[in-house]
Amino acid sequence: MIPVLEVKNLVYTHRVKRSIFKPIDEFILGPINFALNAGETLAITGHNSSGKTLLAKSLVGAITPQQGSILLEGKEAKQSDKKTRNHDIRLILQHSKYSLNPAITVGSILNRTLRLNAELNEKDRKTKIEQTLVKVGLLREHYYFYRHMLSDGQQQRVSLARAMILDPKVIVADEPFAALDPSVRSQTVNLILDIQQELGMAFVFISQNLGIVRHISDKVMIMDKGKVIEAGSSQAVFNDPQHELTKKLIDSHFSLVNKHFEHFEQF
Amino acid sequence: MTQFNLYEEEFHPSPLMHIWLEFKRSHFALIGFAILLLFCAIAILAPLLAPYDPNVQNTNAILLPPAWEGNGSIAHIFGTDTLGRDVFSRTLYGCRVTFGSSVFLVLIASTIGVALGTLAGMKKGIKSSVLNHLLDSLMAIPTLLVAIIIVAIIGTGLWNSMWAIILVLIPQFVHQTRTFVREEMKKDYILLDKLDGASSPRIFWSSILPGMFELLAVQSTLALSVAIIDISALGFLNLGAQSPVVELGASLSQSLEVAYTAPWLVALPGFFIFLMVLSINIVGERLRTALRNRLIH
Amino acid sequence: MPLLDIKNLTVEIDTGSEFVKALDKVSLTVEKGEIRALVGESGSGKSLIVSAVIGAVPDHWIITADRLTWKGQNLLAMSNEQRRIIMRREIAVVFQDPTSSLDPSATLRAQLEESIPEELLDKGMFWKRNKQRREIAIGLMHKVGIKNHEACMQRYPHEIATDIAQKFMIAMALVSEPELLIADDSTRSMESTTKNQILRLLSGLNETKNLSILFISHDLLAISSIAHTMTVLYCGQTVESGKVQDLHNRPLHPYTKALLDSAPSFQINLPPKSHLVSLQGTIPTLKHLPIGCRLGPRCPNARKECVKVPEQRMLHHHSYSCHFPLHLPIDEQLEKDQ
Repeated sequence: MIPVLEVKNLVYTHRVKRSIFKPIDEFILGPINFALNAGETLAITGHNSSGKTLLAKSLVGAITPQQGSILLEGKEAKQSDKKTRNHDIRLILQHSKYSLNPAITVGSILNRTLRLNAELNEKDRKTKIEQTLVKVGLLREHYYFYRHMLSDGQQQRVSLARAMILDPKVIVADEPFAALDPSVRSQTVNLILDIQQELGMAFVFISQNLGIVRHISDKVMIMDKGKVIEAGSSQAVFNDPQHELTKKLIDSHFSLVNKHFEHFEQF
Repeated sequence: MTQFNLYEEEFHPSPLMHIWLEFKRSHFALIGFAILLLFCAIAILAPLLAPYDPNVQNTNAILLPPAWEGNGSIAHIFGTDTLGRDVFSRTLYGCRVTFGSSVFLVLIASTIGVALGTLAGMKKGIKSSVLNHLLDSLMAIPTLLVAIIIVAIIGTGLWNSMWAIILVLIPQFVHQTRTFVREEMKKDYILLDKLDGASSPRIFWSSILPGMFELLAVQSTLALSVAIIDISALGFLNLGAQSPVVELGASLSQSLEVAYTAPWLVALPGFFIFLMVLSINIVGERLRTALRNRLIH
Repeated sequence: MPLLDIKNLTVEIDTGSEFVKALDKVSLTVEKGEIRALVGESGSGKSLIVSAVIGAVPDHWIITADRLTWKGQNLLAMSNEQRRIIMRREIAVVFQDPTSSLDPSATLRAQLEESIPEELLDKGMFWKRNKQRREIAIGLMHKVGIKNHEACMQRYPHEIATDIAQKFMIAMALVSEPELLIADDSTRSMESTTKNQILRLLSGLNETKNLSILFISHDLLAISSIAHTMTVLYCGQTVESGKVQDLHNRPLHPYTKALLDSAPSFQINLPPKSHLVSLQGTIPTLKHLPIGCRLGPRCPNARKECVKVPEQRMLHHHSYSCHFPLHLPIDEQLEKDQ
């Protein structure tokens, strides 16, 4: 089976010029290699500024890597091939509030995405938008809502709808759960699991929440300072971490978890 | 099955509607708005409303005081001037020129300014930065002075003075638009638009422009207030509208020599200019507050 | 006597058209040397409680309480002056985002040294006092675990990492040697190693200096690792309160149970990629608060009695406010109410 997403030797150099007097800061991301099959979930985790967001952006084509290739279902995803680039792999950002334009309605946002990427007439577009809204757990009436009329969780669902509406093969999400409350988080996790099962979508998400990472990911990738320090199936990495840093991360997570279970024993 | 959310039944207005509702809360602002609408009506309907031709001279009725004075007559509500022309008709036509030309030139200046500002905002680089700084330094000079200089170069007359003021008003539109567009381009939702495959013009029309309306409304009211004052000032200095075109500032300066014997000839045009600027400023101030309140919500 | 004693605190806020009870009879206490966790999601009013304690609530909002005392003194009856003195020396607050709480135009050294209160320095010439300030500042930095203080002190807030910034905020809070530290969601969006460091720091301070901490968060992992007692808040109502062990082993209120269910790490037998148990619906907004028990519309156990606000009942130092708590089987509950 051809993996739906395959990344080979991806390298991206991020240059930041701080001032005329200081030398240019360079942050090198990569080389990154991984493969993901349909219906699988890959979690990317690591410290802040380890390059996770840069990787997410290069996967969807927001930034162009200097080296390496990204293959979608075996075919190279070129910047010039807008059809595949925008259509098959889509992005969800952390702060749903800033992902939605406050001056236009939810319906307009989704309508534009469809107009640019699908050959549907106006009536069909509206039907598709309404279907997608219902699929993510919103109402048809939300078509006419503005951003300020929606709660955090609902805004996140709109971001998910925008990503899903083109029936992509892969969705990349940058910390989708971090800004959500626990109850809303559970609902969003369930929603994503449902959609993944129904559409057979692959899901790449960045998260610091190791509990969620362990629960919903098949594969996990730990990053630090732009390099992948450990990668593998979630079970393997969580049960038997190899690298120092991974061990530290997982230990600190489990020490918190174990303290919870200690309470049981005391009882 | 979708669950109908009974709890969410509430009146949620669109952003523009929200601004209108905030605006309506101040009775002062509504009065100002009504006065503005009145001036718009005058600007359009002056030929129908004026009882006399403003340039017809009636030597039998020279310097008649307004109707509410002792020896005034109802035939000339605002009295007549030194040449026997009816002041009421002249005031109506004057309002038409002053207000109408101000609105027209604000429209032109805003269109050009927004277009330039958008181009400067969407492109990065040193060129747009230099343009911005040049315009900023131009904005430091009072608009009237620059307008006078331009009129001195291109000559007097209503159209020339209008072009001068258009040129003078463009920098502030460019500056505001450029700042706004630059800020918007950094936002996440624009990135998502680009990832959807939207081209720059499309991004501007459908994502940035809808958010710009309120800003433009506020800028335009400010510009309108400046335009009215500048047009009348240029008219007062005889650099603007020339006879036979009737303009409030020009009629003000023509009446100065008889100011002691016929004070109404000075007071009435002055009062109408004052009313125009006051109503614009009240409306503009309320718009700004409504905009600020909306952002807080 | 508890350090901070809040009983039946009600705060009504002005939504423009009417007054809404954003906090409805909230009660919590913090004893000396205790770490109490205040658990609540957005809209629960947890930051409003902090504002009520420190006196930052706008004047036209209505605050009523049976008791709102600090060390026995009634906070509501105090003048602003007295309140400020307490805030300066005895209570300290650490907020969520460290970079936005720090002055971006001053170096860290300047901010820390400036905030050291006069009373802690000996009388003497000003250069001696400055030297003392520096020493106290360095001591504090070491105490919170910032080892290379020299490098940090010279930097500006935007140049340092978030975890160091948060530790620095805690150092700033400790400057006045307070008795209560209120940590308002200070470990949000931190990854586990940093979170662990901060939590260990807090619990270390609690043990060595007997510092009481009011830890506000909705991160149950963090809470269960350091807190002794916890109070669960939903939409401005306290739903359950007691020792952390008791609440985790035997949650009595459906909302507490739902919160515990939302952390997959707490459920050992949950198969991977399966649904998490969650409450349906969303948190009501201020304009649409339900009558009675505010969890009513979302609660799986809700019945018509739930339109009355349930009273607080105690079960061995474990208090709960629910008509149909989880420890009573259903028919017993029906009998009880007939």
